Amino acid sequence: MTHSDPGSRPAVVVHVRPGAPERVLREICAGAEEEGVPTRVVTVPGRSAGEQDGSMRSTGEHDVTALAHAAAASSRLDVGIAVDAVGAAAVHHGKLPAQRPVTTVETDATVADWRRVGRTAARIVKGLPLS
Amino acid sequence: MPDRARLVVGVDIGNSTTEACLAAVAPDRTVSYLGTDLTRTTGVKGTPDNTDGVLTAVRGALRRAGRAAAELDAVLLNEATPVISGLAMETITETIITESTMIGHNPATPGGQGLGVGTTVSLTELDEIDPGPPVVCVVPHGWDFEDIASTVNAAVGRGVDVVAAVLAGDDAVLVANRLTRPVPVVDEVAAVEKVPLGMLAAVEVAAAGYTIRTLSNTYGLATVFGLDPDQTRHVSPVARALTGNRSAVVVRTPSGDVTDRRIPVGTLELRGSGKTLRVDLATGAEEIMDAVARAQPLEDAHGEPGTHVGGMLAQVRDTMADVVGQDGEEAGSPVEIAINDVLAVDTFVPAEVRGGLAGEMHLENAVALAAMVSTSRSRMRSVAERVAEELGVATLIGGVEGKMAVRGALTTPGVDRPVAVLDLGGGSTDAAELDREGRDTAVHVAGAGELVTKLIDSELALDDREVAENIKRSPLAKVESFFHVRHEDGTVQFFDEPLPSHVFARVVTLAPEGPTPIPTRHGLDHVRQIRREAKRRVFVVNAVRALRQVAAGGNLRTLDFVVLLGGSALDFEIPEMIADALAGYGIVCGTGNVLGTEGPRNAVASGLVAAHAAAAP
Repeated sequence: MTHSDPGSRPAVVVHVRPGAPERVLREICAGAEEEGVPTRVVTVPGRSAGEQDGSMRSTGEHDVTALAHAAAASSRLDVGIAVDAVGAAAVHHGKLPAQRPVTTVETDATVADWRRVGRTAARIVKGLPLS
Repeated sequence: MPDRARLVVGVDIGNSTTEACLAAVAPDRTVSYLGTDLTRTTGVKGTPDNTDGVLTAVRGALRRAGRAAAELDAVLLNEATPVISGLAMETITETIITESTMIGHNPATPGGQGLGVGTTVSLTELDEIDPGPPVVCVVPHGWDFEDIASTVNAAVGRGVDVVAAVLAGDDAVLVANRLTRPVPVVDEVAAVEKVPLGMLAAVEVAAAGYTIRTLSNTYGLATVFGLDPDQTRHVSPVARALTGNRSAVVVRTPSGDVTDRRIPVGTLELRGSGKTLRVDLATGAEEIMDAVARAQPLEDAHGEPGTHVGGMLAQVRDTMADVVGQDGEEAGSPVEIAINDVLAVDTFVPAEVRGGLAGEMHLENAVALAAMVSTSRSRMRSVAERVAEELGVATLIGGVEGKMAVRGALTTPGVDRPVAVLDLGGGSTDAAELDREGRDTAVHVAGAGELVTKLIDSELALDDREVAENIKRSPLAKVESFFHVRHEDGTVQFFDEPLPSHVFARVVTLAPEGPTPIPTRHGLDHVRQIRREAKRRVFVVNAVRALRQVAAGGNLRTLDFVVLLGGSALDFEIPEMIADALAGYGIVCGTGNVLGTEGPRNAVASGLVAAHAAAAP
């Protein structure tokens, strides 16, 4: 496991694809901040879904889950969030199997859902029940 | 005298299970036990519906022993009088907030810290007011945290003295982080529109790890609001209601008040030993149990119509009347239905405070009552007739179950007379004693496993009988990561497969199919304490109460051996709790092991066989 910035303070790492909706990211970060846990947003350029490795599995949900797992792996707190270009999001823990995210939300989610994504990530860090 | 061994089967029809014990009785009366079986009781105990269960158990025991029904010489049934129990709860206090004086809830994440006292002003009017006395900003639904912060910051910039904020949404930390001048912020006030404006209010948020100190102190409130001694007396319930919170809001309105009302819940009328005693339910369990003790032996009990207890007692009686009354063939003898025992337990019920603005909960006092009705009429004769017809075997009604249970318990290794048994059931706790001379006595007292479940359910505000039942049956654990749990005894267990996220950081019960979360904000220790207290208040109290009734002269020191039987004797902690309580009386107490193999099961069925063998011609 490599920490992208070992000198930085501990934070939930948020990986976002270019073009990820600003309001989604804002509410997710607000959800974590309300719980008192810092976030660090990192933009991760990604190939568009189709050309990633040619298979169908690499699109959509799979991509955001893998991205969240990578974010968790680079977090000193072992917790990561990902937001893809269309606003789908996932929360992951570095010790969980890559295909088993803690939670995911679709593109049609609400403000309350995005807040919950940030809150869930923060609560994993704090060791509090997630809902 | 018969010249060959007779094959007999003892059958115990219990409230939930029917148990059979097959044995051969030799001409010299020695008994060889051949096999046992256990099945669900069909129908209400003591009614003809039991026949199917009896046949299943008898056939099961025969099959295990490799014998045929045709070889049977006799079926022995217990004298199973139906015992029906009922439970009810009366809440005896109620906290009411009039005119919205208090918001005492505990949002998970309040913002800022300290105490702010000022006049309530809506955020929408904040840009219109002039600098002056301190104000508490009240934020309606639908405002974004950045807009709230910038509006407040603008007002503060103009010289308005904003000292605190009260929000509807879950935004307190977000807002507090963006204020140029930090103030305490309380959020998640669902009915924020009901907070009266233009009134003096105090908002307090304690530092992390602390609880509030000013608003939970009566004199703190008096200081903040400038109260005279008479008014101070009135706000004392507010202070008590806020104790232990990390944050609180108190708004002082001209006629606002918090009252601690005692609800009239009626009286309980107890008839026994030549007197009729009336006891007010609101006086609590101790007074009620005193009255029950003075009316021993209890002949009947009535509750005031219109109360939960009155309704429950009437319903128990009606159910029993239905069970014993509709059988034409046995009509003729007058049916006697009476409440024979009552157990009262003090409890508390978390209830939403009436008039609260944020769904505040307050622990209200309550009394839980278990009652038990038995009847003089048994319909075992018709069960016996049906069994005899089906199997073509003589079927005898052997003896009273408590007295049979003692004889069965005597087959437990290491037990001798005088012996007493405690049958820890679902609806009632039964005791029986057999002394050195062979004299026996038996009693039923109200309250057992179902009351424990009900207490756990209501004290944790679960409103889910199944979860409460799980808590009762198994030890607790706390999920500490996706891969490990810490059991209540402190040991840690690891899992290869990650635990599901809905149990993360939760207090769980560990069922064979995996951890089940308990929907509560309370910690493991609190849940554990409620579980153990519920068991103690029902089973330990009843063990002592029931044993006193069977012990010579009511003196527990006359007892030597106490054997625990019944489903709850298999519980992981009840037997040791009872043994601890009885140790002081010099009693040897433990869970039975009937026939040396059956554990606390099958005592009555085995006892029926033993009694039959002893009495054989």
